[in-house]
Amino acid sequence: MKPRLKLLWLQGVTCNGNTHSFLNYPHLSYILETFEFLYHPLLPSTYTLEEISTCAHECDILVFEGAYDPRMERVGTSLERVVHHYGNHARYIIAAGSCASFGGMFKHSDPEHITGLGFDEKEPKGPFVKNSKLINLSGCPIHPEWMGYTLRMIADNKPISIDELHRPKELYSYLAHHGCTRNEYFEWKVDSDHFGTKEGCLFYKQGCRGPMTHASCNKILWNDVSSKTRAGSPCFGCTEPDFPRTNMFETKTNMSIPQDVPVGISKRSYLTMAGIAKSFHIPRLEKRLIDDNT
Amino acid sequence: MITRKWIERIEGEASVQFTFEHNKVSFATIAFPHFRGMEAILHARPAMDALVITPRVCGICGHSHLFAAVRAIESVYANSGFPLEISPKAEALRELTLSLELIQNHFKWLYLVIYPELSHLVQCPIADSFRLKGAYAASLATKVLAIFAGQWPHSSYMIPGGVTCDPTYVDTVRAMGLLDELIRWFEKELTGISLEEYLHLSSTKALSRLSGDMGDLDKMLRAANMHKQGFSYDRYCVLGEHGFSKPSKNINKRTTKVNAKQVTLENPYTVDEKTYAKNALYQNNPFETGPLARAIINGIPLIKHLHRSFRDSTYSRIMARSYEIALLLNHCKILLQSIRLDEPSFIEPHKKITSLSGEGVGIVEAPRGPLMHKVTLNKGIIDHYALITPTQWNLASGSPQTPGPAQKAMIGADSIEIATFTFRAFDVCSVCTTH
Repeated sequence: MKPRLKLLWLQGVTCNGNTHSFLNYPHLSYILETFEFLYHPLLPSTYTLEEISTCAHECDILVFEGAYDPRMERVGTSLERVVHHYGNHARYIIAAGSCASFGGMFKHSDPEHITGLGFDEKEPKGPFVKNSKLINLSGCPIHPEWMGYTLRMIADNKPISIDELHRPKELYSYLAHHGCTRNEYFEWKVDSDHFGTKEGCLFYKQGCRGPMTHASCNKILWNDVSSKTRAGSPCFGCTEPDFPRTNMFETKTNMSIPQDVPVGISKRSYLTMAGIAKSFHIPRLEKRLIDDNT
Repeated sequence: MITRKWIERIEGEASVQFTFEHNKVSFATIAFPHFRGMEAILHARPAMDALVITPRVCGICGHSHLFAAVRAIESVYANSGFPLEISPKAEALRELTLSLELIQNHFKWLYLVIYPELSHLVQCPIADSFRLKGAYAASLATKVLAIFAGQWPHSSYMIPGGVTCDPTYVDTVRAMGLLDELIRWFEKELTGISLEEYLHLSSTKALSRLSGDMGDLDKMLRAANMHKQGFSYDRYCVLGEHGFSKPSKNINKRTTKVNAKQVTLENPYTVDEKTYAKNALYQNNPFETGPLARAIINGIPLIKHLHRSFRDSTYSRIMARSYEIALLLNHCKILLQSIRLDEPSFIEPHKKITSLSGEGVGIVEAPRGPLMHKVTLNKGIIDHYALITPTQWNLASGSPQTPGPAQKAMIGADSIEIATFTFRAFDVCSVCTTH
């Protein structure tokens, strides 16, 4: 049997949501067979956090959850010291979630000091700036399958190609929009009048960031079953460096035109296409999808 | 002699300082060293943003925060003379997904915290794979939850006026299939008898005869003498109103009404140590909250019977919480069957949220007890937001004259190991406590 890779899971300024999201991963027994957890907040581990904090060990993979605050202490030891020690020795550093990737939600606790591991929103900042070992798995929280993919690729010695924000391309080249069950409403510019319907697109009024957000949420479903947009909630863009934005349930518009348009499409092209699509009235898309339930 | 101990393998971390006299814990203080300032993050944001931000208070009970936030905003509507109409369908879905969050939390606490620690205490090691049972059962529960809420953790599908989802019977049938699977798993692994039979048990003797993990739990807890220690105030408080809980307090076996306005906060008591958690009190007194409180107040026969013999021991606390899994599974089944999909998911408020001003309070029962969100809005913008979490009740760090429930429960323990197990029986969550 191959020796197990040593994995250390540390936490900074966090809600523990990435830990709990990863516990939904359906193949945890594979994970425990393949990786030795030096420490994990809940899974069986070799050491206690106090033992880890002595910096007497080394790991192959450092997983870090939560935003990074160099002044923080965990179990009475400087987080900065512990993160540097293990990060410098590790072969891979995985930022689990948007806080660890970009600062995320908890950057707002203290925007001046708190960052991600290699980024402060989009700007390079933090303990592992421009470090080729850093893999950002942004998302609030992390998607369990995305973490599972990354760990298995590492275990199998397969290369993980990353984008300019250090996110694996195979996971983050898609947009949250891809695979959304409301796509046809987007194509023909049929808005959702209000929340609570399976019909209509949430992009025009309800603040949906799906077409601007790099995430495979509608390809690799959440908890194997659904996604925000499938459940009628707008995508809040939680994998992007600017999460959390403000006024997240409303689309920002200028003269009733959405301020932001889909990634990589010029506003002019978008407006031309949208104007034409909107000029058609398509009765099938304007009524309920299944009429006997209404 | 004072000994300081870091408590790990909880949600976050806590520091407990034990005072020993005659080889027994005579006092203990509890400190939570991390603080994120959630209330400040919410300040000056549009009200609806609370539905995205407050679930991020806690990775394990974020859905409870979402529900409390929605109730708080709806209470501002009601207090301003515009009570919102919520369809029975939306009410049922909210309660269903909340119950599922409680279930996943209870499973994880049982298999990832209680069993490993208890097996260590009674020197009966368990396999790593045994602990994964908790994650498996929890993931089945969150799968059902996500069918309606889109995802777990960190869904924002409850909104003032209802819910965002519009399920079809394809969704509810799928949810029932998964819930049935979870119930069958529970019967096979935990009880060895059917859920229905288990829910009809009324005597503690029957518990030790169970063949599954619940039988082992009963035997191990007794072997560790947990039925003879961990006693606290035997005083309980429930503030959230649901199908599975009614707001009441119980003192000296008498259940009476509560008024959430009587909830107050006090500064914590620690020695030479910084903590960010304020103590929550009812009429200036500590109360125990959570599954044991809910069961006592609801008069659940088995738990009442157990309580007669073992009062509020650690054994009672742990058994009450494990038993609540069964109560909630049954509750979910009834809720799922009751949902009528021809009702609206969402009824648009008549008043725009951007013109809404005033105060509101939202209270729900989270896994560990009552969770309160208080909000003041000025034309739809958050002027003030305050959170009072269940762990601020149970894990309050009071003075030697009025220790909090967990502090009191630890007094008299023979060792730090016993005391920390007693502490963990309350299910420690540092992220909620300090927020």
